[in-house]
Amino acid sequence: MTVTSPPHTSTGQAGPDAATRLGLYRQMVLIRTFEEALLRDYHADKSPVWDIGAGLIPGEMHLSAGQEPVAAGVCAHLTADDAVTATHRPHHLAIAHGMDLRRLAAEIFGRETGLGRGRGGHMHLFDPGTHFSCSGIIAEGYPPALGQAFAFSRRGTDRIAVAVTGEGAANQGAFHETLNLAALWKLPVVFVVEDNDWGISVPRSASTSVPSNAVRAAAYGMPGERVEDNAVEAVWEVAARAVQRARTGGGPSLIEVHTLRLWGHFEGDAQGYRTDLEGIADRDPITTYEATLRADGVLDDAAVTAARTDALAAVDDAIAFARSSPIPDPAQATAYVFTEEVPA
Amino acid sequence: MTAIDTPAPATTRRLTTAKAMAEGIALEMAANPEVFYLGEDVGAYGGIFGSTGGLLEQFGPQRVMDTPISESAFIGLAIGAATEGMRPIAELMFVDFMGVCLDQIYNHMAKIHFESGGNVKVPMVLTTAVGGGYSDAAQHSQCLWGVFAHLPGMKVVVPSTPYDAKGLMISAIRDDNPVVYMFHKGVMGLPWMAKNPRATDVVPEEAYEVPIGRARTARPGTDCTIVTISLSVHHATDVADRLAADGVADVEVIDLRSLVPLDREAIWESVSRTGRLVVVDEDYRSFGMSGEVVATITDRDPTVLRRPVQRVAVPDVPIPYAHGLEHAILPNTDRIEAAVRAVVGA
Amino acid sequence: MAGIVEVRFPVMSTDDPTAQGVVSTWFVRDGEPVAAGQLVAEVQVDKVSMEVPAAVAGTVHLLVEEEAVVEQGSVIATIN
Repeated sequence: MTVTSPPHTSTGQAGPDAATRLGLYRQMVLIRTFEEALLRDYHADKSPVWDIGAGLIPGEMHLSAGQEPVAAGVCAHLTADDAVTATHRPHHLAIAHGMDLRRLAAEIFGRETGLGRGRGGHMHLFDPGTHFSCSGIIAEGYPPALGQAFAFSRRGTDRIAVAVTGEGAANQGAFHETLNLAALWKLPVVFVVEDNDWGISVPRSASTSVPSNAVRAAAYGMPGERVEDNAVEAVWEVAARAVQRARTGGGPSLIEVHTLRLWGHFEGDAQGYRTDLEGIADRDPITTYEATLRADGVLDDAAVTAARTDALAAVDDAIAFARSSPIPDPAQATAYVFTEEVPA
Repeated sequence: MTAIDTPAPATTRRLTTAKAMAEGIALEMAANPEVFYLGEDVGAYGGIFGSTGGLLEQFGPQRVMDTPISESAFIGLAIGAATEGMRPIAELMFVDFMGVCLDQIYNHMAKIHFESGGNVKVPMVLTTAVGGGYSDAAQHSQCLWGVFAHLPGMKVVVPSTPYDAKGLMISAIRDDNPVVYMFHKGVMGLPWMAKNPRATDVVPEEAYEVPIGRARTARPGTDCTIVTISLSVHHATDVADRLAADGVADVEVIDLRSLVPLDREAIWESVSRTGRLVVVDEDYRSFGMSGEVVATITDRDPTVLRRPVQRVAVPDVPIPYAHGLEHAILPNTDRIEAAVRAVVGA
Repeated sequence: MAGIVEVRFPVMSTDDPTAQGVVSTWFVRDGEPVAAGQLVAEVQVDKVSMEVPAAVAGTVHLLVEEEAVVEQGSVIATIN
């Protein structure tokens, strides 16, 4: 089933109310502001010769600009007690699920005050307080989500796990194993597939044998819905159903969102292979949503400015915290392998 | 004959290694409702190598769960549940199947604690059957503990006796770290495999722990040290008994019991005393356990060795099917005895 | 007054009452004390195994060797 944006009637019955809509917009602005700050700081000290391992933020960087609607629309239905597993491109989900921005930034900057004390980095963020985790191995964040859902279910709660991955990952074995087991055991999981059209440089048409992964959901005995237009409210509406189904013992379901990777697969990706860059700014989901909300009277200049100002304040604070945090002691490089010190 | 019943004398209760392992699991499951066991054929079948015999009847299908053939999914499920504080035991039916799910094991189970700076624990056990000798051929006969021990972040235990099987299982379940528990099919005492008298022995009825990371002296000796693990402990002990009876040598046998952590002190204490080392390893010879045992001595002081070390391992070949071929490459008693004779100069 | 209790090889194959099996493992030694319910033997007919517990406490006497072929239903040990 393909869903496009629900009609915005004055009664608002098909979609979120005004306060929720404003919240979705502000969440997306916060995410984008954070990603823009990282974009700037990641590249700032890698010149004149671009060296991936140099600078205050070394290594690979996968930013989520354009994919904010998925995070905002899904996470609006979650609490900190629900679990989220994400991928190598995790920031939008981490932020929307309530991760502390300072500890997120500090981990990305590799500092001792980071979520993982600088041991994990941007692809390996673990936040027990929000039951958030992510993995750099494609599709392998799906199986642990089953376990979190299993624990929640066994303990008699209505907490759920949301597992997010990309359309390329939907061709990896773990994806299929996980869907089957989740449906078989009726676990409280919502599976999300972010179809941003590109598995690094390979378009979905060259990787996937079916038109959408919502179709694949049926093969595993669960409902599947596809949101076609990267609209946050369409995501919100579909996610509401999926989350409710999981919370009330209805088992898992799958949501695929046709979203947009505004920037490269990784920072430094020249994207020479990409055929859809012309006019891409016109498809920016935040710009589009802003226009919709202005037309509906939910946003005015003051509210737009406030969203941006508030986001900048939070992001600037987080980045400043990260920059001023201590670097981990190299003498402790072998710590934290086990819960206790073990002789080498 | 008096009217008062005399108390029954104390019994010697024996179990096979398989039953001891299952008893350890049962005691911990009874004590902690968050311990559960999942894997293929672990329910009504009781595990194809007897690891979960009787558990389904005692605890029911909510806690002893048969899974589909989906190792990545169900081992990943165990990982996720462990991060939420449960204590899962997941069974990888044959260690040879590690290929289909190794990412969840070595990139997730083993690394989450480290990557999270110690903020997230993974208190789970991964059980798996290892070993050959009954013609199950190249894809169903391996040991592969060298692979698991090589990858950082998971403890590795390999019991050889019923007593250790129960005690190490209890320790593994109670450990807050991921523990890979590798049980050799040939030590399990299965009625449908070749008879192994050392696979049945006295096992205390209560719960007890065998410390992870500590070797034991299976047989004390003075002339030569055999360092080994798993079924090879039985073969080494048989060889040592025979050589002692023949007056050839008094051989000490060290059962490592754990590979991670490795009890390097125990290896050092014995070899620095005897000066002669034979390593018996049913895993592939190169780049594995046997080399690590040797390095434990040479890193510290190679001059304690009076003769070069003998390694008795599976050569770097896939394990053959035909019985004679298989037994030529396994670390059998003939090869062990020849190695001991070489280092003692007999 | 203690009597002698027979420990029998269980009848595992009802299709073939004369089926034979083996005591694959004795868990006790001849002359040892046993408790009621204690695991005494594991027996096998074809590929199917079964545990044999002691019905009563006492001293066990083994009548057959491991892996010797016996008829199901036959007496394999006594406890007195």
